[in-house]
Amino acid sequence: MYLRMIRQSFFEGRKRKALAAITVALAAALITTLLNLSVDVGDKMAKEMKAYGSNIRVVPKSENIPLKIGGVDFNPLKGRDYLDEAELTKIKDIFWSNNIVGLAPFLDVPVEIAGKDAGRVSLIGTYFRKSMPLPSDEEYRTGVRITHPYWQVTGAWPDDESASEVLIGRSLARRLGVAAGDTIGVTRPTEGSGGSAEASYRITGILATGEAEDNAIVAPLGAVQALAGLQGKVQSVSVSALTIPENELSRKAIRDQDSLSTSEYDVWYCSAFVSSIAHQIEEAVINASARPVWQVAAGEGVVIGKLQVLMLVVTLAAFASAAMGVSSLMNTAVMERAREIGLMKALGAAEWQIHLLFLTEAVIIGVVGGILGFLAGSGLSQAVGWAVFGSSLAFHWIAVPVVIAVSVATALAGSILPARSITRLMPVEVLYGR
Amino acid sequence: MDKRIDFDTAAMFASDYSRTSKPVIETDGLTKQFGTVAALDDVDICIREGEFVAIMGPSGSGKTTLLNILSCLDTPSAGTYRLDGLDVSTLTEPERAVIRREKIGLVFQQFHLIPYLTALENVMLAQHYHSVADADEAMEILQSVGLSARASHLPSQLSGGEQQRVCIARALVNEPAIILADEPTGNLDEENEKLIIELLQRLHEDGRTIALVTHNPEMGALADRTIRLRHGKLDG
Ligand SMILES: Nc1ncnc2c1ncn2[C@@H]1O[C@H](COP(=O)(O)OP(=O)(O)OP(=O)(O)O)[C@@H](O)[C@H]1O
Ligand SMILES: [Mg+2]
Repeated sequence: MYLRMIRQSFFEGRKRKALAAITVALAAALITTLLNLSVDVGDKMAKEMKAYGSNIRVVPKSENIPLKIGGVDFNPLKGRDYLDEAELTKIKDIFWSNNIVGLAPFLDVPVEIAGKDAGRVSLIGTYFRKSMPLPSDEEYRTGVRITHPYWQVTGAWPDDESASEVLIGRSLARRLGVAAGDTIGVTRPTEGSGGSAEASYRITGILATGEAEDNAIVAPLGAVQALAGLQGKVQSVSVSALTIPENELSRKAIRDQDSLSTSEYDVWYCSAFVSSIAHQIEEAVINASARPVWQVAAGEGVVIGKLQVLMLVVTLAAFASAAMGVSSLMNTAVMERAREIGLMKALGAAEWQIHLLFLTEAVIIGVVGGILGFLAGSGLSQAVGWAVFGSSLAFHWIAVPVVIAVSVATALAGSILPARSITRLMPVEVLYGR
Repeated sequence: MDKRIDFDTAAMFASDYSRTSKPVIETDGLTKQFGTVAALDDVDICIREGEFVAIMGPSGSGKTTLLNILSCLDTPSAGTYRLDGLDVSTLTEPERAVIRREKIGLVFQQFHLIPYLTALENVMLAQHYHSVADADEAMEILQSVGLSARASHLPSQLSGGEQQRVCIARALVNEPAIILADEPTGNLDEENEKLIIELLQRLHEDGRTIALVTHNPEMGALADRTIRLRHGKLDG
């Protein structure tokens, strides 16, 4: 009888039910989209965020913890280990060389500014976009303009081959009161027995990075090597590599490379994990230690985490507003069917029997709305995927039950208030048309 | 005219029968207050098994109010009401719902059939809430009110008189202790009214206990006796 009633009343008030289902469907579509996005956004964002910095740092094996205070390297220059600049081409010669987007060497020398009482400042030598000889004879230009795309220069970039063009960090420029086009003199205090090297540089532009370079002078590597007397030496290399997200295997490799079986090692070695690329760089470059820059990865994690919280909030808001919409529609249904409910009560129906009828309708509305919403949302998330990331999002089966369950829950939540009007409804009040 | 005489004989017979049977409805000092209006004021009535009682009185005299309390749809402000030996005046709503489905058959002026259920299903609904829906039994009841040919029609496809007969069938199907009807012919034309009157008369002959609110003196005359209300009090 119950099933008969459900079936027979299915098309009663179908406009209202369709509206309720559409309300649920809209929320379900939004939830589907956000769910698809939040599952995929990790991978997508990681790829996007490669644009915001290098992810492997290569230093000499013996490099101890850098002694940096306020961005100035206080490690004594003498007795330090360096990498050979000539070795850098080998980084472009590893198994995953095509994944190496760029690299930039660094040599950081403490200097004083002539005629200014500015204390010690870093003079950083690097490649801006320098042509690097490759074994394959291809033209390969690389430097911070590729590995550090967020570095912003007001003015011009220095010429990599020049010995006198430099960028000055914006904080330092403000402190010294200098601008692009000005000339500054630097002196390098030599450790131990006296004497000092001096140089005069022309500022081609003001550099803004938001990091330590804002307080430094950045010059072509050759110029700094000459000043420091460290020809052909670099302290560290930043490498930008396209990598795939870490998985169980790569985490195992990071914990203990020796724990991998031969076949696991092969798979790991031939996959573009940041850890395996770092490993290959270590193999290729003499005396090098290559480490993934986990801060970048961690930073990605924080951003993605925040995005997911935001999505959750939006989802909850969609859920709540859909529940409210369903609630008002269901309330209308209860009003419209007040006589029917009054009659059922007069016939001695138990409270739950009447509620069951309306809750079943809510569940049907939830399921129908959920399915429609899921289909619409899947389409929408593909559209968003293409619009935002320029690629499609993977289809996640898990979203199907989740979205339908959430839709049913929405419809049921929307039925709470109407259910209370059912309870409050007195048959005497509706059966005599008062 | 023959019919009138028949009715009177039957009424007399039933009237004699009722004096010896047990009371189904007994009220004592029944009072219903709506704010300052006393819709019912100290009403004592007794309806015995097999009796056919008409409740009459001018508009606003409290007939519907009385019937609602007798149907366990409403509760008295004061006084007691015993139905089939059980004091129901102090029961909670869920308990009254149980009493309604076990003991009461309701016939409404406005029929109150569920629009999306067929005649048969409307009868079965009462069975469903009472115990188990039984299509054969429901069909038998429909047959007894002369509607077997209309069993699969929706209320909108039935005439007023037919709808009222479905309503009566629904009231009968669970064998209630009493059938309570509030102006069952109020919405019907004369011809259909006659059919309903005949039907109620037959039910009475079958030994059913019936309380009927009516403005129609002709209908009132069919009953074993008449309870008259005026301003919420028993009149005479
Ligand atoms: N729910 C209510 N709230 C307030 N007053 C009510 C309510 N129900 C009935 N009354 C009042 O109680 C009195 C009796 O009403 P009731 O409906 O019982 O009269 P009735 O005899 O059935 O009248 P009618 O013949 O017109 O149907 C009337 O004065 C009515 O206004
Ligand atoms: Mg009335």
